[in-house]
Amino acid sequence: MTTLIRNFWQSLIGQSKPAPQATVMPVVQRPRLPPKPSHEIAPNDPLVAYFQNARGSVEVDRINLDSPAVRALKAAGVRMTVPLVSQGDLLGLLNLGPRLSEQDYSSDDRGLLNNLASQAAPALRVAQLVRQQQLELQARERLEQELRVARLIQQTLLPKELPSLPGWHVSAYYRPARAVGGDFYDFLYLPDGRLGLVVGDVTDKGVPAALVMATTRAILRSAAQRWDAPGRVLEQANDLLHPDIPPKMFVTCLYAILDPQNGRLRYANAGHDVPYCRSSSEVKELRATGMPLGLMPGMSYEEKEAILAPGESVLFYSDGLVEAHNPQRAMFSFPYLRTLVERHTGGATLIDFLLAELAEFTGANWEQEDDVTLVTLQRADTGQAATDSSQPGHAIRDKEWRTLAEFTLPSEAGNERLAMKEVTAAVQDLGLPPARLERLKTAVAEATMNAMEHGNQNRPELPVGIQLLASETVLAVRVTDQGGGQPIPDPHAPDLEAKLAGLQSPRGWGLFLIEKMVDEMHVIRDGGHHTLELIMYLGGDNNASAKL
Amino acid sequence: MLQAKVITNVRKMSDKASIVDIHGEVNAAAENSLMSAFNQASASHARAVVLNFRGLEYMNSSGIGLLVTLLIRANRQGQKVMATGLSDHYRQIFELTRLNEAIHIYDTEAQALAAANAM
Repeated sequence: MTTLIRNFWQSLIGQSKPAPQATVMPVVQRPRLPPKPSHEIAPNDPLVAYFQNARGSVEVDRINLDSPAVRALKAAGVRMTVPLVSQGDLLGLLNLGPRLSEQDYSSDDRGLLNNLASQAAPALRVAQLVRQQQLELQARERLEQELRVARLIQQTLLPKELPSLPGWHVSAYYRPARAVGGDFYDFLYLPDGRLGLVVGDVTDKGVPAALVMATTRAILRSAAQRWDAPGRVLEQANDLLHPDIPPKMFVTCLYAILDPQNGRLRYANAGHDVPYCRSSSEVKELRATGMPLGLMPGMSYEEKEAILAPGESVLFYSDGLVEAHNPQRAMFSFPYLRTLVERHTGGATLIDFLLAELAEFTGANWEQEDDVTLVTLQRADTGQAATDSSQPGHAIRDKEWRTLAEFTLPSEAGNERLAMKEVTAAVQDLGLPPARLERLKTAVAEATMNAMEHGNQNRPELPVGIQLLASETVLAVRVTDQGGGQPIPDPHAPDLEAKLAGLQSPRGWGLFLIEKMVDEMHVIRDGGHHTLELIMYLGGDNNASAKL
Repeated sequence: MLQAKVITNVRKMSDKASIVDIHGEVNAAAENSLMSAFNQASASHARAVVLNFRGLEYMNSSGIGLLVTLLIRANRQGQKVMATGLSDHYRQIFELTRLNEAIHIYDTEAQALAAANAM
């Protein structure tokens, strides 16, 4: 644009070379125009106010202001300056040196200049806005790209599957905020069948947080192999992390070691949210003192111990849950979370229960402020009959599991028939009665369709994973999607009348059917995946038609 | 795109009733075939359309959704939809979804036609 104006003017006054050049001086904060050397006028320069009153071209010598811009103009040999004003904003100045004829500029010249300026200014304004928009768009794209990277790092490093411990049920839920906070959790498989459990949160967001999370995870994994005591592991992690962590960043982190044989849970806490332990009679806080990791070296971490009795469970979480706000800006808060944990009495899993409460609290239009991470550890109630389907994760209480089959299918419509075929072949030695086999096939087909359509959004490159496990008494089929889509909702009985009246979509039968076809159905969320676990009891005269 | 694997055949049995024989898979891809068969069966103002599922190999939840759509259309036209030839498994699914309350199930084609002609 500058060049255009300059050339235009030069052609008018017959200059072949700009001999002092006509230059445009943009007001600061406007995007800078390429590539002409130009002066910037400070927004508080008296010249800016001057041109808001004086319209049209002005001889520089006549401007009587204490202005750095005017001094710069004079120093550059500018004789005449024409303000480019659009909508009351000074966009720049069209500057002219002395005429080659050494005569003064005539009133015709000035009229022409003013005319030119009045047309050039809006054009320049438009060009500036376009440029500004382009820059903003580029900035947004850079930000999006960064978020994608952060999300990728995090999702790659979160556990791909949940631990299967006899007599225990472990579940996990993780949902990143749009800006991707630094939440993480990890399961470590330690000698003697013990399970290490990490829940942490890196201050900061985006790629920096994701990188620190990756480092912390690696350090903890190696420290946990080396040291047996949770406090010692955090101490080591702190000392290794401290020299490398960027200033003002730190990591809150809880590390616990569970001995599944006796329910002994040893834990230490580096400033992370205090877990809640729920027994039949009360909710306890599992407190242990310690500074967040990476703040200062040489810290020590208190180590505590709890025994989880049958039926008891522990909730680990991040502050994305307790610091969520409702539309009235009230916070979810620790006391409320504690109340909810007390109130939870089975039925849906604790995680599902809390998520439903969170959704109700925040309302439909909630923009999630921070990552939300929930991990629960539950010891099966030994007093419970094996056929009580209200207890989730029934399958893992059984001890001897063998894998009958494991395969993946691309998310292409119709592939549920392949799943049916594979499953039929895999279970042929289990002696399922034909009617129950039909039910299993229908359930597998529906679960596969659900995973392909809702979980994987019909993207063929995203696989559906199917795993068949069997013990003496139970067959478990796990159908896993890649979880990009909506979470698996609770099954509810579709309302045929409403559908026939056109009040509901004629579709939406899948989950309802699955639940009716099998003896138990569990929804397991794990990082970026959803798994539907279908349970069929083997042997005896079990018959799911009791569900009718 | 999912390939349709369904064949339908329409038999006009009387002024009152037509039968639609369904062979193969009733899933999302069966929509065109099923709906045009139903329209053909309805063309002669049949009061009842009997869906014959004897050749059914597979029906999924999308297929159930199709049957609901078909029922809505039949209700609007004042027609009855009946079913026959269902395997025990799919009969049970009809019961679970309560489709059997809207689509009356008969053991044999003859029973379905007798009911239709008595309307």
